[in-house]
Amino acid sequence: MNPLSSARQERALTECAPISGDNAFDRAMRHAIQRAQNSKEDSERFANQQAFDRAIVDLVRKIPVPSEVEALFASEHLVPAVKRSWKKTAQHPAILSGLLAIIVIAGIALFNFLEHLNDFPGSATAHKLLIAASTTRTSQLDAVQTDAGALSDLFFMKYRLEHCDVPPEFAQFRTLGCRVFDDEDGHRVAQVMLIEKHMQLFFFPVDKDPKTGRTPEFSGWRYVSQENWIGAVQERDGICFMAAMRGREKDLASYLPKKSE
Amino acid sequence: MTGDAGKAGEVFQKTVREAELRAAHGEPPADRLWFFRSARDRCLDASEAGLQAEAVEFEEHELSPAAPQQLSQLDCDQLAIWISSAPEPQRSALALFYLDEFNLRELMSILGLKVTELGALLASARRQFQAWLNATVPAEEG
Repeated sequence: MNPLSSARQERALTECAPISGDNAFDRAMRHAIQRAQNSKEDSERFANQQAFDRAIVDLVRKIPVPSEVEALFASEHLVPAVKRSWKKTAQHPAILSGLLAIIVIAGIALFNFLEHLNDFPGSATAHKLLIAASTTRTSQLDAVQTDAGALSDLFFMKYRLEHCDVPPEFAQFRTLGCRVFDDEDGHRVAQVMLIEKHMQLFFFPVDKDPKTGRTPEFSGWRYVSQENWIGAVQERDGICFMAAMRGREKDLASYLPKKSE
Repeated sequence: MTGDAGKAGEVFQKTVREAELRAAHGEPPADRLWFFRSARDRCLDASEAGLQAEAVEFEEHELSPAAPQQLSQLDCDQLAIWISSAPEPQRSALALFYLDEFNLRELMSILGLKVTELGALLASARRQFQAWLNATVPAEEG
């Protein structure tokens, strides 16, 4: 703001200076008044203006208020307060947006709860291995054509992996190939591909509980799913076995004992 | 604002009635400024219906230290008539400013004026009123 317009603005502010101290005024107004009061040229003009304004206000206050108006003001509630119905209150935009936010938060919390409801030790690794299964090609595996149940000796002899025993439900299926690799957490994972519907079998260790240092256990079969792939996981001696295939839970369930958990 | 107690009473009644109606429909006036805005609009409508003052150039005098003493000799009706005969928006500015009820922001909001416009209106009104005072109740000498 240039000095001329600033002075004009300040002068305008003093012209509108509050008459009584009751009307709160802002910093710019306070500054303008102080400048006017301390200025040689303006102090007299400003004092005259304030005296003039006060005298006018005194006169304005002498204007009689009509009796009917006075009677109206005498009643405590000039405009009766209307109690808002709960429907009106509920339709208020602030209430609606608040409710919407609560519903969204509750929805996310419920989704997270349900998603973790079926969690079990090793479920996070199982999800990652389902993604690995969906991208694995036969050419990536060492060609081994035998019964799946016979591979536990191979894993132990060649890779020093213990407890990689294929459960009896899948032991009789013929294999296409197998491999052992380290996953992103550094766990040794054994992977087997079957001829049967190109089903894949995985062996991976269960993470130890950091608090107790013990390997968490669970019994029965637990399902995990990821991008059209379904896996059934079983734990034994700290090693998880997962049978995975493209499809839905019922497709895999037909290979498992009927009393699965 | 109207220079007529009857018209002013009517404006007041209509404004309160509208506030009551709004409240009855669950949409009461948002704040006290609504009353003044509404009353001002009604006053302007009422004034337009009556006789219009001729637009004349008023004489202007610098404010005198004797102004409070001159004003003390005036009747409040004379002041009301003087204000009501001022042209818009000066009339509204004077009526609301001398009610001494509003801060500057509220005044600008009700009147829809900038601070420079409001300041200029009030300053010229003071000088015009001083000139009128000098002519009507000359200051006592000594």
